[in-house]
Amino acid sequence: MKVICDRAALLDAVNLMASIAPARSPKPQLSCVHLCATKDGDAGRLTLTATDAEVSLRLTTLNVDVNKPGEALVNAQKLQQIVAAEDAEATLTIEVDGDQIEVRGADAKFRVFGFPPAEFPPAPEFLDADDPRAGKIFTVQAASLETLVGRTLFATARETSRYAINGVLLSLKGKKLELVATDGRRLALARGHAEASADTEIACIIPSKAMQMASKLIDDPDENIRVAITDNQVIFGFNADAGEPRAVLASALVEGAFPPYEDVIPTDQDKRAVFDAAALRSGVRRAALLTNEESRGVRMNFTNNDGNSLRVSSRAPEMGEAEIDVNVDSYDGDAIEIGFNPTFLIDALKVVDEPQVVIEMKAPNKPGLIKAGADFVYVVMPVSLQ
Amino acid sequence: MSSGTEAPSRRQSHQSGGSAPSLRIKSLAALLVNQIAAGEVVERPASIVKELLDNALDAGAMRIVIEIEAGGVDLLRVTDDGVGIAPEDLALALAPHATSKIFESADLDHIGTFGFRGEALASIASVSRLSIRSRPRDEESAYTIEAAGEVLSEQRPESGPIGTCVTVRDLFFNTPARRKFLRTSQTEQGHCLETARTLAMAHSHVGFTVRIDGRERLNLPAGQSPKQRVVAILGEELAPRLIEVHADEFDDARGLALWGLAGLPELARPTLKGQHVFVNGRPIRDRTIQHAIQEAYRGLIEPSRKPTAVLMLEMAPAAVDVNVHPAKAEVRFRDSGLVHSVVHRALREALLRADLTPKWPGQDRGGFREFGSDRSPGPAGQLGSGSGGSVSAAAFADSFKQAVGGPDARIDYDALRSAMGQHVPEPSQEVGPIPVARPADRVLQVHKSYLVTQDEQGVVIVDQHALHERVMFEQIMQRLQSGVFESQRLLTPAVVSAPAQRVERLADLTPLFEKLGVEAAPLGPDTIAVHAFPTFLFDKGVDPSEFLSDLLEQAETDGFPSSSEEALHEIVDMMACKAAVKAGDRLTEQELAELVSMRSRYERASNCPHGRPTSIRLSIRDLERQFGRT
Ligand SMILES: Nc1ncnc2c1ncn2[C@@H]1O[C@H](COP(=O)(O)OP(=O)(O)O)[C@@H](O)[C@H]1O
Ligand SMILES: [Mg+2]
Repeated sequence: MKVICDRAALLDAVNLMASIAPARSPKPQLSCVHLCATKDGDAGRLTLTATDAEVSLRLTTLNVDVNKPGEALVNAQKLQQIVAAEDAEATLTIEVDGDQIEVRGADAKFRVFGFPPAEFPPAPEFLDADDPRAGKIFTVQAASLETLVGRTLFATARETSRYAINGVLLSLKGKKLELVATDGRRLALARGHAEASADTEIACIIPSKAMQMASKLIDDPDENIRVAITDNQVIFGFNADAGEPRAVLASALVEGAFPPYEDVIPTDQDKRAVFDAAALRSGVRRAALLTNEESRGVRMNFTNNDGNSLRVSSRAPEMGEAEIDVNVDSYDGDAIEIGFNPTFLIDALKVVDEPQVVIEMKAPNKPGLIKAGADFVYVVMPVSLQ
Repeated sequence: MSSGTEAPSRRQSHQSGGSAPSLRIKSLAALLVNQIAAGEVVERPASIVKELLDNALDAGAMRIVIEIEAGGVDLLRVTDDGVGIAPEDLALALAPHATSKIFESADLDHIGTFGFRGEALASIASVSRLSIRSRPRDEESAYTIEAAGEVLSEQRPESGPIGTCVTVRDLFFNTPARRKFLRTSQTEQGHCLETARTLAMAHSHVGFTVRIDGRERLNLPAGQSPKQRVVAILGEELAPRLIEVHADEFDDARGLALWGLAGLPELARPTLKGQHVFVNGRPIRDRTIQHAIQEAYRGLIEPSRKPTAVLMLEMAPAAVDVNVHPAKAEVRFRDSGLVHSVVHRALREALLRADLTPKWPGQDRGGFREFGSDRSPGPAGQLGSGSGGSVSAAAFADSFKQAVGGPDARIDYDALRSAMGQHVPEPSQEVGPIPVARPADRVLQVHKSYLVTQDEQGVVIVDQHALHERVMFEQIMQRLQSGVFESQRLLTPAVVSAPAQRVERLADLTPLFEKLGVEAAPLGPDTIAVHAFPTFLFDKGVDPSEFLSDLLEQAETDGFPSSSEEALHEIVDMMACKAAVKAGDRLTEQELAELVSMRSRYERASNCPHGRPTSIRLSIRDLERQFGRT
């Protein structure tokens, strides 16, 4: 194998590879990136593949000159370091001699010991839509998927624990695509659209890590992403329209049941406040300055007697207290005092681009509901106030 | 009874002339009575040593010599320089229920002497060949009287110093069955020595010498201070690990004064052997006091271990009934609540004031050995190898584990009570926190588990989990005092499956849970739903269902306290443990500095709630010694 690569394109690719391949592995082959150079007439292509136990990623770059097709298996970290260090070069040459991989710049020659390419696990197949093994398939616009992920991923549990669902629920009914995430204390639901055959129904949990990677792989907001769901895998194909996709991301699905999220979203809230999203965000953020580990919550006082108002207050023992008045555009319902973890509120308000948000409540020990437009619903559980 | 028929044939030659047959019958009966009494008083040689020492101390002796041969069976002799017994009283001293110490039954209410029943000598005489030689101060010569079984000799003059010498030979010669119950002479002499050591502790002004089979095994000069005496007996090497304890409550009739030496937590042992409690100079076992001691060390040691402590209580004789146990080893306090609180508070104050950081074992390894009864005191009893080579980290850690014991633990009684809403005067606030050094400039994390830093005395090595757990525990207890915990409600209840009996246990814990911000309720016969959980535990990544299921499992065990106060401690303990950083967690430089600085901010930070030490110190002196600079 011998290829001449555009260094910048190669660096983008090896950066992603190095982020997937585990730095240390009991089998050193698994810390490697698999390189495969092919030639189709004059058009050469280099395919790079890396995997950890859960996720695998295959990238194809066309910015190469393939002198001699072939394969190689080389430590991903090392290759990434070399490509990153050769920053004066426009192109790099990769040539394989047996198990040795040579990377050459104008004034440098690196010879790295690799492994027989056959020792790398087979890459996930990106099957044609009509292949019966392809599973259920839909297509989503990159920009839309990015928004959906951005509006939900933050609400997943950070720590892996029995109780947390370390993934995002993907649900598709016809063209209606929903992502749902929760850490047991709040739940974020984002709605969007997908292209699929009318009878397609999907519900699966995608690991947070894969969801994050998928969002990171988005390059062009207008490109289409084809998503295939099999019994135990999800496969994203990026820029799938142009025949062979430029990137294929495969991940195992999270097993287990997602909480019945539809039941969790309250429908009988009897208090409703409408805010300018930025004003509310700023008010909560400022009140949060005087919270601490001991007193995490902010107290929210909604009143409707002398004009609508919200007072957000906080009190951190041995530190101090804060009181912020936030303008309320409209308020319906009785006065209420309810406590929330401000981080949970800010998390949601950060991902809202609509100018207005609505908070609906019922009682101090019942969930609060934040809505922005029709496509974002956020349930947040209160904290007890002292 | 075989002994009754055996005794006359062993009659001594110097018995008093011919006794009338009727008298003999009477004396046989008396012998039986005494032998029965002896069953209670004279259990083994050590109990005789105890009685004879009591008598010598009652006689105001300044020097006492104890001789033991063949485990005390062949010979036991106690010689004192006390007031002596008048020749005409010698026979009386051996008569049952003859005592010079009590005259009327009202005296029983305020016994100021160690003996009072007048049965010891009679009992001993009934099961041995006993002789007493005594010379009061105003007498020209000493007189001797001898007894064997029921047979009493006439007293005869003999030369001898002022004082009394009681010799007991052929113990149980006439009750062979009892003799069979004795252990090896090694064991018996060990008990005798232990008895002498124990009594000597309480009478520092009296000189004690013990000779076993001709070899001197204990030699304590007269006129020592109480502290000198206790240290001389426990071992000089323990001195740096003993804290002085005081209390003085002599303001009213119920008055009570306390002095003692309390061992650092690291000296706790698996049994009560390290505890010596005296009331008015009398060694006693008392559950109230044992409990008070244990409570004072709560949180500093593993609960199954017993602190080392020597406590001397002085109180008006009327405030304590010593006439409740044949060997006078137990007493009854008129106000045991007062005794408990004085002991508990005095110990706790002393512990709070002390620097509880265990010392580097190389500095003084003797301290990590258990001090046994068979060890001679003084320089010979010390291990001289403190300056020897290097101590590996593992050996170092092991010796601490040994000294301090494994995980498991309880806590601090007063904070608990105030947490439960009862106001208890908090001594810790009067005495302030343990002085701990200024925060060191740099902290090194070793193997993601230990922090190494310095204070003005040397190098301090901290167990990150243990310290953080300790700090968390104190923080949680402190916060509990300011009210109910902030609690985060859950979107859908976290479900815990648990056997039915654990689900039932939940009801008992619910009131405590409310304070702690945990809301949980049975969901079915074998499931529990957690509806709300403290925000700070969420912050620390503690999983509600895991916490609940672990807690209920523990609540089911026998060791789990039934009182709600103690149960609260258990729960807080578990919270602290789960919320604390673990061994293996990498900490940022800031977190390291923060954690180490907390060491100085929280009282008793040197032991985690499980009783393990949180930090150990290698002093500059230790370093110098290890590097051969001294
Ligand atoms: N070492 C001694 N020095 C002086 N008197 C003694 C001594 N031992 C015993 N006695 C006298 O003998 C009496 C009986 O002793 P004992 O049988 O032990 O009874 P108790 O000590 O209960 O009075 C004592 O009351 C005391 O008068
Ligand atoms: Mg006596």
